[in-house]
Amino acid sequence: MIAINNVTMRLTAGGHAISILDEITLAIEEKQRVAIVGPSGSGKSTLLGLIAGLDRPTSGSIVIDGTDITKLSENEMARYRRRKIGYIFQSFHLIPTLTAVENVAVPLELAGDADARKQARQLLDSVGLRERLDHYPVQLSGGEQQRVAIARAFACRPPILLADEPTGNLDTVTGRQVIDLLDGMHRDYGTTLVLVTHDQTLANRMERVIMLRDGKVESDSMVEL
Amino acid sequence: MNQVNMFSLRMAWRETRAAWRHFLYFLACIAVGVGGLVAVSLFGVNVEQAVTREARGLLGGDIEIRLSHQPGERTTEVLLSLAQRGVTVNHASELAAMVSTAGTEQGSGRAKTLLVELKAVEAGYPLYGVLTHSPDAPLASLLEARSSEGCLPACYGALVQESFLIQMGMQPGARIKIGEAVFVITGVIQKEPDRMANMFSIGPRVLISQEGLAAAQLVKPGSRVRERFLLQLPSSIEITPIQHELRGRLADESARVSSYREAQPQLKQFLDQLSQYLGLVGLTALFVGGIGVAASVQSFLREKLQSIAVLKILGADTAVVILTYLGQALALGFVGSLAGVLVGLALQSVLPMAVSQLIEVNILDQVQFSSSLSGASLLPIIKGIGLGLLTTLLFSLWPLLAIRAIKPAAIFRRDVEGIEGASHRREFSLAAGWKAIAVRDRPRLVAAVCIAAGLAGLSIWQAGSVKVGALFIAGLLVAVLLLILASQALLSLLRRLPASPSITVRQAVGNIIRPGSQTLMVMMSIGVGVMVMVTIGMIEHSLVNRVQDNRPTDAPTFFFIDIQPDQADAFRGLLQKETGEVSPAPTPLVRSRLRAINGQVVTAETDPEAQDDARREDRRKNWYLTREYVLTFLDQLPKDNLIVKGKWWEPGQQFTEPLLSIEEEAAKHLGLDIGSSVELEIQGVPLKTTISSIRKVEWGNFSTNFYMIVSPGALDGAPFTYVATVRVPPAEEASLQRAVVAAFPNVTAVNIGDVLDSFARILDRLSLAVRAVALFCILAGALVMATTLSATRYRRLYESVILKALGATRGMIARSFAVEYVILGLVAGCIGVLLAGGLSWAVLRFILDLPWSAQPRVLFTGLGLTVLLTLLVGFLSTFRILGQRPLAVLRHE
Repeated sequence: MIAINNVTMRLTAGGHAISILDEITLAIEEKQRVAIVGPSGSGKSTLLGLIAGLDRPTSGSIVIDGTDITKLSENEMARYRRRKIGYIFQSFHLIPTLTAVENVAVPLELAGDADARKQARQLLDSVGLRERLDHYPVQLSGGEQQRVAIARAFACRPPILLADEPTGNLDTVTGRQVIDLLDGMHRDYGTTLVLVTHDQTLANRMERVIMLRDGKVESDSMVEL
Repeated sequence: MNQVNMFSLRMAWRETRAAWRHFLYFLACIAVGVGGLVAVSLFGVNVEQAVTREARGLLGGDIEIRLSHQPGERTTEVLLSLAQRGVTVNHASELAAMVSTAGTEQGSGRAKTLLVELKAVEAGYPLYGVLTHSPDAPLASLLEARSSEGCLPACYGALVQESFLIQMGMQPGARIKIGEAVFVITGVIQKEPDRMANMFSIGPRVLISQEGLAAAQLVKPGSRVRERFLLQLPSSIEITPIQHELRGRLADESARVSSYREAQPQLKQFLDQLSQYLGLVGLTALFVGGIGVAASVQSFLREKLQSIAVLKILGADTAVVILTYLGQALALGFVGSLAGVLVGLALQSVLPMAVSQLIEVNILDQVQFSSSLSGASLLPIIKGIGLGLLTTLLFSLWPLLAIRAIKPAAIFRRDVEGIEGASHRREFSLAAGWKAIAVRDRPRLVAAVCIAAGLAGLSIWQAGSVKVGALFIAGLLVAVLLLILASQALLSLLRRLPASPSITVRQAVGNIIRPGSQTLMVMMSIGVGVMVMVTIGMIEHSLVNRVQDNRPTDAPTFFFIDIQPDQADAFRGLLQKETGEVSPAPTPLVRSRLRAINGQVVTAETDPEAQDDARREDRRKNWYLTREYVLTFLDQLPKDNLIVKGKWWEPGQQFTEPLLSIEEEAAKHLGLDIGSSVELEIQGVPLKTTISSIRKVEWGNFSTNFYMIVSPGALDGAPFTYVATVRVPPAEEASLQRAVVAAFPNVTAVNIGDVLDSFARILDRLSLAVRAVALFCILAGALVMATTLSATRYRRLYESVILKALGATRGMIARSFAVEYVILGLVAGCIGVLLAGGLSWAVLRFILDLPWSAQPRVLFTGLGLTVLLTLLVGFLSTFRILGQRPLAVLRHE
């Protein structure tokens, strides 16, 4: 259960304060599949980042399974992420100096998993990249890179998977493959899935759609499945 | 090892594997510093081993008895008793002498004359070590008398140094005249084991037999001669007891009795000190390389911001990430140190060649120095790797702390705050240091203290002395602080200047002052190198100028020594005839030693172990206690002497007891004052005197100066010799020397000009050795600049292709680069040169006690060369950018 209470986020740029999120309050249930949509600059990526603890809101709290993550120190937050949260970026953000299998192994190794490499290989196998294990990110296509990123985000079987425009940089066909993968993880492991997207088709495959505009929740609706 | 550490190690390896190219400069920076240090310490170890191994050869025996006069009865008696106890004794006499071609067939034209270091030995020489000469015939056969045409009654053989043949224009087989005897050159000396390793050599060696010396009739009462009796002890006799016994028995002969164990410290001390100074210069190079390491780590982290943010998003905490990159830096430091060891091993075979040029006599060859490695070489190698690793650790720690500030959200904020902007505020600078103190950033404060302590520790370790190490690090820190302050001042000045109308200049200045250009580090590292180099140049020039310029216009050309009493008047007459001027009467002198001060008997033996700094004063006092004093008696106070206490004797004064006038420094170190009683000993005869005046002496005036002058009449009957000085135009030097040697074969002519030249040459060679190591500082500085330029390579590439797309020519971009590098060189050079001025002033003023003068030529050469260096390094690092085609680069954006 993710409880977002009165979260406000302001940043300063060029001496001016910009309000990115304004008093957002939301609750996301366990195993829910949620899409956050809205125009550019509406604050959706920032909201997702705050849920992942990548930054601290200006005010308000975010409580995940009883822990107020806004109260954690940076290092505590990092350790918390290891166990609880998988994160997928629009631009993949694979570590360019590591091979595909090494990228996937990183969170497992951080968690101290003894056979991190073996698991990483299995994960890459499950996303259809058995042949690409030892390739570097630059040697992979966009779709392949995103599949590596998904395998990495899911490596520690986190209960929460956050995806920021996971198909934004991909063509339609590849994008659909990626979404099928995410759906599969939800189905098989009961992962809570929160994704930010521009893509209405993708949003419509989720069970709940939250619409943001100018840092506020404009609408919050359950989708008929 | 826990899992997180394992992860750090694994990540470190992966990062290095992918980015090794980036770290080539990192490796080079460490390798250069470690290489210089390892070369210097290996050299030091090898020298020490060689000196220890050859100690007996260097002394010439197990024990040496040395006299500065002909042996008296007592000595002869002692030597005889030694022979009866199975001790082998070899007698060697050393003196300065004149060699002439007069009276030989080569002398039929204009005779040539040369001042040489003459040595006469007995059969059986050397007792230890090897004398090498060509032809490789037995020494006795080469030195023995032979009768042939023109030799009456016989000619003795003589071995000479190669340089003798060159200076005289002779070949082996030629005849020479020494004193009253004619000698045939029978061969060339290559190596002489016990030639004292003096920096100064007044002339080439000529080796003859004792019989030959007797025939030459050079040694007369009071002559300057060093009589050495070299002893080889049978195994039944212990060294220490017999040394004490001999000291006791020969106390009245003012003999010095030393064993091979204490004879080497002088040479060893010189070489130790040389390695210590060279080692510190090498350490400076390593520290400059450390700045390169910091620059390299900093720019690497800037590239890695995103990866670090991703790692943090994936759950890595700050400690893990810092450990990762620290592990990487240390691994690289280790590889760099290994490379440095290889460089050092290669260099240490070259360094001895440079150092062996230092001294006329090739001491390294003499002690059979070899560059081969042994067990003892392991220590300098391990020490080199240790220093390399620690330097890496200390210099990468500061930039690595910036990892703490990288937030996972950096990935999103690019448009608002900008990744570049976020990192620039963590610049490696004084500002960051002050900020750390101001905001009480604990880890940074702790790191700063650790780094400072660590650097001090390394310096002390390298210097092998707390005092020297602490002074070194303090000096270096002050220099670096001044460099940073000056660089920052100049940078802010550049920022404030109105924008230049020229786009090339604007672009160049922009590249220097923009955030993240690491200009400060470049200026600091190049500045330190320039400072070291120019300081050495300044000191050398000041020393040479001091000696040459301060030579008074009326300074004598020649000193003539060992003029016998019965020759004094004739000699004066000869000088008058040759120069056409009235020359002053030769000065009588006699050599003496201190026997007692205020009734207390002086212990003549120095403590050879008294070498550390704390006992420097003792050693100085010892020097005054045990040295030989040349005494004279004079009516008039000599010129350039000033009475500072007491008074000079009146003309025609009657003396109830001998009075003594002593030099100020000697009085101070011996603790003497007016009325103190001083008992001297002149070849066994005591002379009691009372101090009546203390004089200040201008030692640099090139006249005959004395520590001690006694009242007229006090020396009556003593074995005098006379010394005369004369000033002649350069063109007449050779003919005067010829005339003197022809008329007075036993008189030695010392040419002041030659002595000064030899001094300048030695200074030049010394500074060459220091400069060779200082070159490493410059090299390290250049590497730091190359490092920072490579860090901005991509930005430069991008900008230059955009400029090209907008219509800039390749020449224009090249010019803007040139202007940038020239400004860098000018600023770093100016600061380095200014600091060098200050440093050389301090060294001259406080250590060498000499006046400082600006040496515009040295300063401007230093500045000019710095600008050339930055231009060269700049273009070598960036010229490839100039040829890039815009489309190829921009397509990848």
